[in-house]
Amino acid sequence: MTTTLRQLALATAATLALTGAAGAQELKVGLSAEPSSLDPHYHNLSPNNMLTEHVFEGLVNQDPKQALEPGLAESWKAVDDTTWEFKLRRGVKFFDGSDFTADDVIATFKRLPAVPRSPSSFAPFIAGLTTEKVDSHTIRIKTAAPAPLVPTNLSTFGIVSKACAETMSTEDFNALKCQGGTGPFKYTEFKPGDRVVMERNNAYWGKKPDWEKVSFRFLTAAPTRVAAMLAGDVDVIEGVPPSDMARLKTNANLSVVEELSNRVIYFHMDHFRETSPFITAKDGSPIKNPLRDVRVRQALSMAINRQAIVERIMEGAAVPAEQVLPASFFGTSKTLKPTAFDLAGARKLLADAGYPNGFKMKMHGPNGRYTNDTKIIEAVAQMFTRLGIDTELETIPPANFFTRASQGANGEPEFSFILVGWGAGTGETSGSLLALLGTFDRAKGSGGANRGRYSNKTFDDKLAEALRTVDDAKRAVLLAEVSEIGMKDVGIIPTHYQTNAWASKKGIKVTARADEYTLAMGISR
Amino acid sequence: MTDAAINAAEAALPAIPKEESPFTRFRKAFVEDKVAVAGLILFLIIVSLALLAPWITPQNPYDLRSVDIMDSRLPPGATMGEGFTSWLGTDGVGRDLYSGILYGLRISLMVGVLSGIIAASVGMAVGLTAAYAGGRVETVLMRIVDLQLSLPAVLIALILVAALGKGVDKIIFALVVVQWAYYARTVRGTALVERRKEYVEAAQSLGLSNARVVFRHIMPNCLAPVIVIITVQTAHAIALEATLSFLGVGLPQTEPSLGVLIANGFQYMLSGKYWISVFPGLALLLTIVSINLMGDRIRDVLNPRLEK
Repeated sequence: MTTTLRQLALATAATLALTGAAGAQELKVGLSAEPSSLDPHYHNLSPNNMLTEHVFEGLVNQDPKQALEPGLAESWKAVDDTTWEFKLRRGVKFFDGSDFTADDVIATFKRLPAVPRSPSSFAPFIAGLTTEKVDSHTIRIKTAAPAPLVPTNLSTFGIVSKACAETMSTEDFNALKCQGGTGPFKYTEFKPGDRVVMERNNAYWGKKPDWEKVSFRFLTAAPTRVAAMLAGDVDVIEGVPPSDMARLKTNANLSVVEELSNRVIYFHMDHFRETSPFITAKDGSPIKNPLRDVRVRQALSMAINRQAIVERIMEGAAVPAEQVLPASFFGTSKTLKPTAFDLAGARKLLADAGYPNGFKMKMHGPNGRYTNDTKIIEAVAQMFTRLGIDTELETIPPANFFTRASQGANGEPEFSFILVGWGAGTGETSGSLLALLGTFDRAKGSGGANRGRYSNKTFDDKLAEALRTVDDAKRAVLLAEVSEIGMKDVGIIPTHYQTNAWASKKGIKVTARADEYTLAMGISR
Repeated sequence: MTDAAINAAEAALPAIPKEESPFTRFRKAFVEDKVAVAGLILFLIIVSLALLAPWITPQNPYDLRSVDIMDSRLPPGATMGEGFTSWLGTDGVGRDLYSGILYGLRISLMVGVLSGIIAASVGMAVGLTAAYAGGRVETVLMRIVDLQLSLPAVLIALILVAALGKGVDKIIFALVVVQWAYYARTVRGTALVERRKEYVEAAQSLGLSNARVVFRHIMPNCLAPVIVIITVQTAHAIALEATLSFLGVGLPQTEPSLGVLIANGFQYMLSGKYWISVFPGLALLLTIVSINLMGDRIRDVLNPRLEK
């Protein structure tokens, strides 16, 4: 009896000591969104990609400002206009001890288009590419046409070992069966709805992170996340809501870091229907779609007081937007300025376009997808009402909203005027311009998120030219021109760029990132 | 006997003391409980404030022209851009909370009461039909009721509203769907007892139609429990509407009910801007408490088993 008790006491003490020791090097992070899977190739979704980066590294990495840097590829160069050569890093081992070679890269490329039931595949990033193994650590990638974005596109997904790529299903990845990663961390636990836990890969080829163990907890409600931070339950939180920023900043035990995001918040307008379903004359009778007149679009843009949105609703945690990405990113126009608030000018334009008395319009938006989304859309409704447009609005839970905004009952975008946001995963403008303003064409991969069906031949042609231009400087100039065409034609109405903010306990340093990712590698003490 | 003789005979009878009407009895019993009277007074104040809202508020919160984001997040007592004082502060988009709460009360009360009345009508019709028809009809109807009652109300309402979209009419429909079963089950229970009484037999033997027997003879005798449930369910419906709106599926953002107002302020709770959620929350609390206080007393008075 006494022996058992003693054993028990010893065991307890040992456990306590162990947890204590682990606690010293354990990092607890509160995340604002949950991954849909831990399969790195299942779903191109920020929360998934962010966790994936810890375990399955890409050939190319993106630094905190989304500039490219070497990952599993030591270096790369364009051999000619349609061939890229990647030198792979030597001496890198997977968790299971096997060596990383060109075969693993080729197996990963094969897996990308073959993941079943993928809600948003990575296949477009390698569409039209053929891979050729030169030697065990050199790979050549051929493209049909000049493709300057190959390195950028290869930074979007992680490499898994040949063994995993050929045998593992998405369920196996979720069950943490794959030992075919090379990253600084490996998964040890995944509880959907609760947390993901990782431990350090002590055989990592690069700089070893400061943490032996990292647990990412899903605290999707902003007030819960902030409360957990204030209570000290977590060491770091992402997605600090603007309303709590001041409070967290003044707390002596916490530090807050901010970074301008690659996410623009904007409005899509119905460009493609002769009569738009949610726009009528003020008496409710049908009218021709006024949004097809550029003067009306300009008037709407001028009626939005961006500064007021930034100050009064975003509480300073945003910057007025003039194009699809902040001017500090690659391929942006340096001459565009946010449309100035000018109600009188907007009224005049509206009158010139033949709507001196305005019209009636219903706006739609998601509730709870972007910071303060319902408040922003309501503020814009106020502003449009002052312009003389009878504005109604409906906010819809995000999943439902996006389905209907992309494909309504008849397969077309359902709404007339919607609030959405777009984060540039590639960290440059061409991806955003093509997805948001390129003429909708599923086969060509153009206009994938063009929910207003904006279509402009000059824009498309110039963008295509830019996408063929391998020279970075020339491409940047072309993309800036494309941005100017789209914005001067008011293809979309951008309102602001979000600022990302992280809070951490004093002494823990978080590297703020433009892509909103919270990476344990970038957190130090 | 001639008519005159009858009259004479009647006149000769000793005078019967005039019996109090049931309503008078009810009223007298109700006012015995001071707490219930307080609840009633509070409820009447809330209702009159809600009805008078357009005349006693400085702002029409539904008119986007009069709401300005430059006024957002002002603390109680601040002066708004249009010159009036906002005694309860403003919310995140510049709505005066005092105005917002009174207008919100109109919607909340209307939704609660209307859905209660419609659900009661539907439920009574189903309950009476089941009890009177018996047999297979009764079995089918009551199994539907059981099914309905076994599912959580919030869940059904959430699914319905998510599918139907936003709007007062849709909310009312959803609330009717989740409430009618309570009435149906209660009314069936009472009606089963009433159906076997002699007056029903008498009515049937006069050759009256089934509908007439059910609705003119049985129904009035089943009303007491229905009145009790209406009060309880109205409070319940108001709370449920607030819940749905809080979750973002209830009423449109531009026509806020109390639930929408509370939801708007939720994100500011930790940043010290307590007024945005607390005042609408308080209004919701007082409304529900006042109805429940009345409801408790009505139940006691109308319950024959509790009679002294």
